[in-house]
Amino acid sequence: MPTLFVIRGTDQGSRFELTEPNIRVGRDASNTLQLHDNEVSRHHAEIRRVENDYTISDLNSSNGTFVNGQRVRQHDLQSGDQLQLGSTLMLYTGPAEESREDLARIVHIGQPSDGSRIVHSVSQAEGSQIFDFGQTSSPRNSWLARARSNLQVMYRTALAVSHTLEIDQLLQRIMELIFEWVEADRGCIMLMDAATKTLKPKVWRTRQDVKTDQRITISQTILDYVVGRNEGVLTSDAGQDDRWNPTGSIVQMGVREAICVPMQGRYDVVGVIYIDTSTPAQQVVAQGGATKFTEDHLKLMIAIGHQAALAVEDTRYYSAMVQAERLAAIGQTIATLSHHIKNILQGIRGGSYLIDMGLKEHDEDVTRKGWSIVERNQNRISALVLDMLTFSKEREPDLALADLNDVVADVVELTRARAAEMSVDVVWQPGQPMPKLVFDSEGIHRAVLNIATNAVDAVTDRPTPGRVEVSTQYAESEGLARIIVADNGPGIPPDQMEHLFSPFVSTKKSRGTGLGLPVSQKILQEHGGRILVESKPDQGCRFLLELPATLTQEPPDPAASQTIANEPE
Amino acid sequence: MAHAPQSVLIVDRSSETCEVLQTVLERRGVHTLSAARTETGLQLARQHHPDLIVLDLDTFDAPEQVVDQVADLSHQARYQPRMVLLGSLRGWQGRRPEGEFVSKPYHYGPLIRRIEELLGHYQETPGRADVVRDSRDRPGQPL
Repeated sequence: MPTLFVIRGTDQGSRFELTEPNIRVGRDASNTLQLHDNEVSRHHAEIRRVENDYTISDLNSSNGTFVNGQRVRQHDLQSGDQLQLGSTLMLYTGPAEESREDLARIVHIGQPSDGSRIVHSVSQAEGSQIFDFGQTSSPRNSWLARARSNLQVMYRTALAVSHTLEIDQLLQRIMELIFEWVEADRGCIMLMDAATKTLKPKVWRTRQDVKTDQRITISQTILDYVVGRNEGVLTSDAGQDDRWNPTGSIVQMGVREAICVPMQGRYDVVGVIYIDTSTPAQQVVAQGGATKFTEDHLKLMIAIGHQAALAVEDTRYYSAMVQAERLAAIGQTIATLSHHIKNILQGIRGGSYLIDMGLKEHDEDVTRKGWSIVERNQNRISALVLDMLTFSKEREPDLALADLNDVVADVVELTRARAAEMSVDVVWQPGQPMPKLVFDSEGIHRAVLNIATNAVDAVTDRPTPGRVEVSTQYAESEGLARIIVADNGPGIPPDQMEHLFSPFVSTKKSRGTGLGLPVSQKILQEHGGRILVESKPDQGCRFLLELPATLTQEPPDPAASQTIANEPE
Repeated sequence: MAHAPQSVLIVDRSSETCEVLQTVLERRGVHTLSAARTETGLQLARQHHPDLIVLDLDTFDAPEQVVDQVADLSHQARYQPRMVLLGSLRGWQGRRPEGEFVSKPYHYGPLIRRIEELLGHYQETPGRADVVRDSRDRPGQPL
């Protein structure tokens, strides 16, 4: 599905699926795609589907439509294009190209006995040593030495930027690398503020032996030149550099050497990297006129600036995507819980209404009936809160010796009361013998109740009479106790098996909170146990809860826990 | 005022809703039937031709089909029950159904009064002070 993903602007994190052939984009609510951006015109642009591709056309907007930084009247969109409308920047992802070939036929994984043999192997760590020149012989000429050195810098830069998703941390690492390779005294990385279009300092650094109380004043002249022309500059003697007006800030500040490079991203300059050194002129003369910064340094800095810019862009995209996912998850959570709470509230209102009526009409039966409804709903909200608490925080199970059959029998009794309303038969087969085991009886009660309740729901509204079987087993030789909940419902569709234990994903639609199974899974895992699921279409489902059979009180081994959702047979 | 016994069918998965409505309506001389499933509800409608059907839209996976089935049933049996639909039309597929809509969560007082109005039972009396109407949760107010 083609999408537009807002990576910058008021709607950042929003994802719009392009489902319709003509999509109007603008600030007005009548648009198919509304952007809450004051710099976007009321009817700004139109995106049209032409066969499988999309074309964007500007609708005489005030601020124009930009694709990859270029103003356009009309443009055929390509996957990866950046669309800027007002201050909103969106990433276009085109339709997935259908594979015309059967890749499995083209790419074949051979059998172990296909005659191949390994001639030589190199570990990843060993391979990376090609960039570690300390362990290899020195190159014979200086050009090769420089090339290898630069390659090493770029390799290390690439590694540094790939290890973090925090922009500030990323920039800090880049700054450290620069100081490792360039003899700078002070440095700063500034990023372009999207709203104000001005550079904001993000990271600064001084060499250890340089006084840190000195304020870094960066020449606006240099910054304007670098950003405006998208060129890196090196100045080693500001007074003799005819690119700068003698009255300009470089000369006045007496900066001897400075390098300032743009951080050129895919389409825009996202910031600048600035380094300088304040070596006095006399010292430079004493060194034979050699300057600290050379053209090679400048080239290297430009390359680093580009790498850093790409990493900044990637980090921003990633952050926006994470934010979008987070917002979607929060929305889903709130919607699910609200619906569930609304139903409980409805029940409480019904019960209260009957209590009120019973009191007014002095009818104790009606009052009692109302109270019973209120009480049931109190239990439901308590259960919901407990599920939320169990799911949301790490906790230690409250372990004590208990009778598993007693706990499961209580679950069966509760389930039967509800099942009777739905004409569902609940069969209980306690395993014998069943020694007393160490477990959190309240937790296991909750875990089994969630699964048994699901089973009753699964067999309700079926053409065949609903039946749920609950049983326990003690497998002494395996050191396990098992609780089995089986039903004759429709089974779980194969495509839902993968998300069975995902929170807030319910197959019961409006009736489920989507918390039951994740909570049950969590409780079993806390005990070092697991849940296995088998499902057969139109035949039913079988949940097997495996619990380590601990006969004396010892702490569980959470490391041994795992949960496997089996594929349907 | 004496009325001929009238009947209301409540189709709602929530046994509590059925219990509350049945308790109140029965005390006011209305004959009630209830069903938690679609099939049972349709079967009861076919057998008893209730004067009014209260349908909880959240009870069904495809409420549009159920409303259509009730409409077909009315057409075949040549009787036109009044309908009260509980829930929201958000995401409703197809033609907007006819009937009274009550959004959730609703208050029972106004709902019961509306049911009685539709049955022709309701009369303003001082004893009905428990009926509270508000703009958000008003029976008979289309969503």
